[in-house]
Amino acid sequence: MAAGFKTVEPLEYYRRFLKENCRPDGRELGEFRTTTVNIGSISTADGSALVKLGNTTVICGVKAEFAAPPTDAPDKGYVVPNVDLPPLCSSRFRSGPPGEEAQVASQFIADVIENSQIIQKEDLCISPGKLAWVLYCDLICLDYDGNILDACTFALLAALKNVQLPEVTINEETALAEVNLKKKSYLNIRTHPVATSFAVFDDTLLIVDPTGEEEHLATGTLTIVMDEEGKLCCLHKPGGSGLTGAKLQDCMSRAVTTVYFKIHCILEKCMLMCHQHFMKNFKSMA
Amino acid sequence: MPGDHRRIRGPEESQPPQLYAADEEEAPAARDPTRLRPVYARAGLLSQAKGSAYLEAGGTKVLCAVSGPRQAEGGERGGGPAGSGGEAPAALRGRLLCDFRRAPFAGRRRRAPPGGGEERELALALQEALEPAVRLGRYPRAQLEVSALLLEDGGSALAAALTAAALALADAGVEMYDLVVGCGLSLAPGPAPTWLLDPTRLEEERAAAGLTVALMPVLNQVAGLLGSGEGGLIESWAEAVRLGLEGCQRLYPVLQQSLVRAARRRGAAAQP
Repeated sequence: MAAGFKTVEPLEYYRRFLKENCRPDGRELGEFRTTTVNIGSISTADGSALVKLGNTTVICGVKAEFAAPPTDAPDKGYVVPNVDLPPLCSSRFRSGPPGEEAQVASQFIADVIENSQIIQKEDLCISPGKLAWVLYCDLICLDYDGNILDACTFALLAALKNVQLPEVTINEETALAEVNLKKKSYLNIRTHPVATSFAVFDDTLLIVDPTGEEEHLATGTLTIVMDEEGKLCCLHKPGGSGLTGAKLQDCMSRAVTTVYFKIHCILEKCMLMCHQHFMKNFKSMA
Repeated sequence: MPGDHRRIRGPEESQPPQLYAADEEEAPAARDPTRLRPVYARAGLLSQAKGSAYLEAGGTKVLCAVSGPRQAEGGERGGGPAGSGGEAPAALRGRLLCDFRRAPFAGRRRRAPPGGGEERELALALQEALEPAVRLGRYPRAQLEVSALLLEDGGSALAAALTAAALALADAGVEMYDLVVGCGLSLAPGPAPTWLLDPTRLEEERAAAGLTVALMPVLNQVAGLLGSGEGGLIESWAEAVRLGLEGCQRLYPVLQQSLVRAARRRGAAAQP
């Protein structure tokens, strides 16, 4: 009976739950889905992370290569993000060149990297004007169940924290680079931006971490990216119903608590376990 | 790439650091030619796909999802004599559309997203190997979409993709005659060339020839065969195929168990 009502009148079905201040999957309006992070699983990548927000799964792999720095900024490297939404994550995507949603997500991630200064591009330069690192960050969505931007940002952050770059020296005589693959060091991550997404229902009600169905029924979405110092990095509101200033402030304060939760409770623990595992393997090899 | 305005632009060209690395990689260690790496198979893990499977063998990680059956594009085609068992005539049979994708970070060298010819060739190989196993006559004018994503290439990627695709089809409840199990082989060069079962990435790179066999274990029929390289004598290839088929039979029980577990999980989830 409930399933029939849900198919015929999905919005009414949702409204009944929202009136009781809860959602069909049992969550409250401000509650996140279970977040799982797995770091360093892809050994061919220089850094990798898999993030699961409920059912939404995104994997990020970072590969580092050499390139000549851009001519207008000879002391900077590159960070090139790319979000891929393949047909296996949801039946609404077709194979082929990136569709609109993938392009929007890629541009959003590029904006987050640029605005939050997660990595100083100057850190990626090896020899000004001649050689710099390029970090290709490829994010692939494996399962699309809403809130893709949060998952992508978190996966990117976790993967960048996992990246280890080999040591490079420029030989003065031959002017060629010499890479020592045995000596690797972590990147210098300056800030930790975390995204929080909201869906707007009926122009008034805000719910956190929407699932795929909720995004479909919502009248608007909003994504706020904050770093751990409470500074706003990015605000993404692609059309949809309008919000008052007070509501926006409320969202921002909620975003701050999310940052604390995600960074300290989840990411730090995960990095610690990964580091311990790495040290254990290193000791057993030596 | 300069012309692609749909992706974020990076530098015009870039080289991997391995080109400038001082030390060479070690040669792969000698090992028993018939050893199979331990396999982890799990079906039914994606929520948005009708059927899905994840397979991990050594360093190779493949994820496969199946969606459909959906209305086939391409218009009506004429009738013909009906097949056995109440199936649709040959011209109205369903289609299997396979897509093989390699993640950009899957190999040693980054491969920019538009994959190119190799991915299409492997997708075609997947389709040819899966078609004998699926009862396409039961899905007239419909198409089933199979997408395989290679997350990490640790050797015998096509074989792993084949196995994962067959598991995903079974998980989706598509009618099949049998599962398809894939196995990779490579010919180690040297004074006494031997065929190695389930090669790692290092062994594949140094191989003189490579072969992938796909077997339907219960029917004991070969569903697909793809090989290339300088193999030598015909007997050598026959020996390799026999070795591959044995490997496929050994893998079968693991896959059966993963499907049973997935069915149990689904049953437990549907109950309350």
